[in-house]
Amino acid sequence: MTGFVLAAIVMLAAVVPCSVVLVRGKVMEAVVAYEVISSIAVMVLILLAQGFQRPALFELPVLLAVLLLGSGLVFVRILERWL
Amino acid sequence: MIREVAADLALGLAVVVVLGSATGVLVMRGAYRKLHFVTPVALVAPVLVVLAVFIRSGLDENTGESLLALIFLLISGPYLTHATIGAIRARERRGENGPEESR
Repeated sequence: MTGFVLAAIVMLAAVVPCSVVLVRGKVMEAVVAYEVISSIAVMVLILLAQGFQRPALFELPVLLAVLLLGSGLVFVRILERWL
Repeated sequence: MIREVAADLALGLAVVVVLGSATGVLVMRGAYRKLHFVTPVALVAPVLVVLAVFIRSGLDENTGESLLALIFLLISGPYLTHATIGAIRARERRGENGPEESR
């Protein structure tokens, strides 16, 4: 197991406390936890692609990083205006 | 050997930053305080991860795509944080957030 895979596993463990906030926190606290989890997911995908030496998988974190901005803004704007 | 140590050091720092921020999100009360811990995860830790990839792989395709993801994260992180603060304030003005949630 390389250091990259190990770092990815530990970062995935960091999703657990954020998930607790996501489930039990109030609405805007859950949005903050969602943003943290999304950023962690991008890093985990980079680490796994590097750890398993799969260059093709490096496209996934790029795609997720692009979608992170769009999806986060949709959440925030809807919560701001309608919900 | 030195490159491996340096890459592992950067990875270790990134993991510490992520774990600390996740703990902060869990422990802090209120969305405003939790929001402070988005920036280290969205900006500092990705820089360290991409640095580790660069140290290990050199300047190749993998590093380039990691750098692209990093650029998108660097753009979206502050923008999302700013938009989230605006949403919290708007909900406060409408009276949908109690003071215990946002402070």
